[in-house]
Amino acid sequence: MPPKSGKKGGGADKGKNSGEEERPDPLQALVLADSFEPKFEPFTLEKPRCLLPLANTPLIEYTLEFLANAGVEEVFICSGNHTEQVEEYVASSKWTRDTSPFSVEIVRSSASNSIGDAMRDMDQKGMLTGDFVCVYGDVVASVGIENAIRAHKQRREKSKNAIMTMVLREAGDQHRTKAHGTRPVFVVDPTKDRCLHYEQMRPGQTHPRLNIDGEILADCPELEVRADLIDCGIDICSPEVLSQWSDNFDWQQPRRGFLYGTLKDHELNGMTIHTHVATEGYAARVKSLQMYDAVSKDVVGRWSYPLSPDANLLRQQSYAVGKSGVYREEGVVLARSAVVKKKTVLGKATSIGDGSVVTNSVIGRRCVIGRRVKIDGAYIWDDARIGDDTVIERAVVANEASIGKNCKVSPGALVSFGTVIANDTTVQGTGRITRFKRKRGYEHDELVRGAADPKVVGKGGEGFNQEPDSDDEEDFETLIPQLKLRDDDDAASISTLNSEDEDDSDFETDSQPRSHRTESFGSINSEESAGEAEARRSAADFHHEAAGSIFDSLQRGDSPDSIQLELKALTLSSNADGKQVRRAVGVALMKRIASLVESGATPQKAVSQTIGPNRLLVERAVLDRDQEDNPESVEFLLYVQADLVHRPQGGKVLLYVCNALVSLELFESEALEQWLEDERSGANPELVEVKRETEEIMGGDSEEESSEEEDDSNDDDDE
Amino acid sequence: MPSVVPGQAPSLSTFLKTLKSKDIETSIELFISLLQRRQIRNSRPCALATTQLLLRVVAGERTRDAQALITRIRNVGRRLVAAQPGEMAVGNIVRRVLGVIREVAEEDQDQSATSDTSTPTSPSQSASKATPHRPGISSTISSFSPLHHGGALPHDMHARPMSSGDITPLAQDSAEQRPQLGATSPSYAGQGPTQVTSLFGLFHTPQGASPAGTPPPGTQSPVGKPAPRQKDAAADSKLDIKAEVIDGIKELLDELEVVDSQIAESALDHIHSNEIILTHTSSQTVQKFLATAARKRKFTVVHAEAYPNDHLATHATIVNGNRKADDSDSNPSDADERWKPLTSMGITVILIPDSAVFALMSRINKVILAPHTVLANGSLIAAAGAATIARAARAHRVPVVVLSGIYKLSPVYPFDTDELIEFGDPGKVVPFEDGEFMDAVDVVNPIFDHVEADLVDLYITNLGAHAPSYLYRIVADHYRTEDVDLLAKEVV
Repeated sequence: MPPKSGKKGGGADKGKNSGEEERPDPLQALVLADSFEPKFEPFTLEKPRCLLPLANTPLIEYTLEFLANAGVEEVFICSGNHTEQVEEYVASSKWTRDTSPFSVEIVRSSASNSIGDAMRDMDQKGMLTGDFVCVYGDVVASVGIENAIRAHKQRREKSKNAIMTMVLREAGDQHRTKAHGTRPVFVVDPTKDRCLHYEQMRPGQTHPRLNIDGEILADCPELEVRADLIDCGIDICSPEVLSQWSDNFDWQQPRRGFLYGTLKDHELNGMTIHTHVATEGYAARVKSLQMYDAVSKDVVGRWSYPLSPDANLLRQQSYAVGKSGVYREEGVVLARSAVVKKKTVLGKATSIGDGSVVTNSVIGRRCVIGRRVKIDGAYIWDDARIGDDTVIERAVVANEASIGKNCKVSPGALVSFGTVIANDTTVQGTGRITRFKRKRGYEHDELVRGAADPKVVGKGGEGFNQEPDSDDEEDFETLIPQLKLRDDDDAASISTLNSEDEDDSDFETDSQPRSHRTESFGSINSEESAGEAEARRSAADFHHEAAGSIFDSLQRGDSPDSIQLELKALTLSSNADGKQVRRAVGVALMKRIASLVESGATPQKAVSQTIGPNRLLVERAVLDRDQEDNPESVEFLLYVQADLVHRPQGGKVLLYVCNALVSLELFESEALEQWLEDERSGANPELVEVKRETEEIMGGDSEEESSEEEDDSNDDDDE
Repeated sequence: MPSVVPGQAPSLSTFLKTLKSKDIETSIELFISLLQRRQIRNSRPCALATTQLLLRVVAGERTRDAQALITRIRNVGRRLVAAQPGEMAVGNIVRRVLGVIREVAEEDQDQSATSDTSTPTSPSQSASKATPHRPGISSTISSFSPLHHGGALPHDMHARPMSSGDITPLAQDSAEQRPQLGATSPSYAGQGPTQVTSLFGLFHTPQGASPAGTPPPGTQSPVGKPAPRQKDAAADSKLDIKAEVIDGIKELLDELEVVDSQIAESALDHIHSNEIILTHTSSQTVQKFLATAARKRKFTVVHAEAYPNDHLATHATIVNGNRKADDSDSNPSDADERWKPLTSMGITVILIPDSAVFALMSRINKVILAPHTVLANGSLIAAAGAATIARAARAHRVPVVVLSGIYKLSPVYPFDTDELIEFGDPGKVVPFEDGEFMDAVDVVNPIFDHVEADLVDLYITNLGAHAPSYLYRIVADHYRTEDVDLLAKEVV
């Protein structure tokens, strides 16, 4: 989509009218339409997050409205996933008409896997020339940023190093609209509004502590440590921000990567990042399903005024607010005995049958709701059908989903696009019912239609329960915090080593070296401890990236040398330690074996095909094979074992892996024994189950082993 | 700080500034989004912006057909009204402009009908012919020719030449008529006094409105009209329509400009020495009214602060006088005198919270309210707190006087008063930061109140004082019945 030239003329006139001798750069904005997170799955399998409806209006409308409000003149929408849908939507929206207050251009960034990639992509394209506002495609905000922009420009005039201003909204201690998972903590110098330090805390932490650099404490006589802020992801950036991203190619996240890194390197580059704390107006990001719930409530409860449903952001909308906050569009058909209680939104041409009760819910357009239905706190998107006597509480029912008669949709359930739930079915609170699943493809993932699972959707239903994908680094988000907490507990109990949740595992692995420290909250730490904190932070990123890249290379059949080289580079760039490398290598190899096994190879063949040619990787990852004590080998095996817990035929694979490792002389058999004796390898029943076969073989017959050894070594020679 | 401009949030003043430079469709869309985002709010800014916008729309319209013009304005008006149904002033102005077009069109029809048979030098005849077709006169003309008060005359004398001069950039087509328009004023003013009394009587005795009220428009338009027809004998009556309509809209703008002064003229009739007056919100109209009275008389004002939506503006008004930021385009020359705070004129002003209204009501002599909108049945929508005040006043038998420009008077009958009340940001009542509270409690912040017609004793408009039950007549005089429902399909 080419930028419209007519618009620029109008903008120029504006400048002229206000008596400027020179036209300043137009204010640009970058909208990150893709967040590169699976938090809204299964919905985001089929629709980008920015097009999901919040109070019956697509999220991106709120974002663009906010930008129009801020007087932005050029908008770039950076989209990675589902770009066609975003393009189609924007092209048909009011924002691309001649009357739009700004020009819109969609930037495809399909190769990006993280926000960091997208930012680097934007830097290369060089479209953002002046100061720009960087927001996500899911921001809902009515807060004025005029003052923030002014302050930013003033600072920039004084010093080119003030590269970014973050707009944050004050929100007290407990707040539904604040992030519930990790809690951002900003350390701010109130005299200069400068952000000095940033960290994310987890609410479950028993002794929360910040690692503030000593120099910061020495330099600034006054500090504010603030955990009461909503980070709504609105940043006013200078072009230097993009080059920073490019210079640091390992940064993934705008906060944990960019912000943390830039603040840490303040001594080197002198760059400063500032904050603008808004105390009025509304600003929030629909970051997760919980936030979806909270922001929906805010919008319906008019906290985001004037961005309430009756603002009718879309031209064809016609919401009017009636008594006790019931928003109704034209043409809603209510049976005489239907009851619509407070804080409900009803879209056009929706009908509600006799005796139904709707409370605190958002119901889209053209929905058909049967008789005696009870809907409380639910989000029902357009064209859904709900049968008689069904009860839905605090759940999301997506477009065109159909729920039969006498069903129960429990709190927290997610029913995705087009699914059909048969009569008399109960959908569990943890259910994520969808028709599609993601198939990890070679280049990119593709969607395949999954077979219906009658256990979940009933007889004649359509859809199945999406299982949390173990390869995703993020924990699955749930609509309801209580459920989320329970999930966490479950995860913690089995996550001594195999946790895929980045934050969890980082805290686990780092807890031992850190536990001896007794510094209190905010105390001075040495340079090393700051580095350590950084490592902890980047460890998760590293693991994800390294394991992914090794696996991809293995799939492509790259030579072990080049894989090793790549791994080395990655290790150095993210300053990862041997332990992380071992974990990444182990997980990647097992993933490769599992994929071979899935495609039909026997475990034995898969192992020999994988381990043999790539012995170099293991060799470099485990360096203690000649020593008496082999903690590294044990650790490697533990990671392998933990990974295999949830792989098909895990026990068998483990057996062959051990076999191969020993026969290739990568590991001493003592190491295997040490591992089997190690208490961590038997920490829970699943782990025991996996290593059972290996244990039996190891304990018993060694002849078989030696014979296979020969086989394997023969294989090796062939290679 | 020059570089701020790109990031500037739009408002009424930026809208009016950019109005001329942008094309019409963009301006309409911009106005719609400004209305939706509440960046232009309250009756006066809405009315001003709507009038200016419609002026642009008419000026930019190529068509010479009145019907096409009506359809166009209706369509634009429908979009504007749909954008923010709560801002009734928008719809009122759209209806007024439609009324102007219809009137011009009807006159034109009559003229062309008569011009075939009779000579154009029979204005009075054509005017009287036009009479039966015209259910009411556009008040643009009546208020423009403010014949009922000598005091208003200088205003209009001043406004007339100015407005005809302004037309130049807007209506190129009307350029050739400029001399005539300029010439109208003196000739008109000369005729004025004879009609003054009859028009004045018109609004006090609405029954006689139609016949008596006709002459001013009748006399006005022929002066302008026959001349071009003599020039372009054949067809250019269409061209004329546009110029006439633009002229009518200009008069509407003038009306908006002088409405406060006209209302204030009756101040001395209603405010007497040593009275205690209670008022509410930071209305310009009320301030002007009180200030006018304060020049001659000493009285006390009790000011309810209208927390939480308008209290800051109210405080500012009391301390600094009533010069609003978004009114910066009104005549700055008389700023000093016009916007002085009441206290500087020796008036005692007592600020009270809204909750204290009932307690003080027994000592109040008169309540003066400023509405957001006046509805056809005589009830009104005003800032939240007005209903409490009106009820307290009723309990103590204190007269309630409502000051309202005609542009706030809406022909809409309030079938569902709930839908007319806008709810604002609950964050003004309970801070958003108070997470636990706002999660557990539903907070509502109504911006407006609906006040029943029988709680109001008197309406003072720019046309004079009326009983609430008589408003229907003013509505009938100002709006065509076919325009009342803007959303209805056009009946041809």
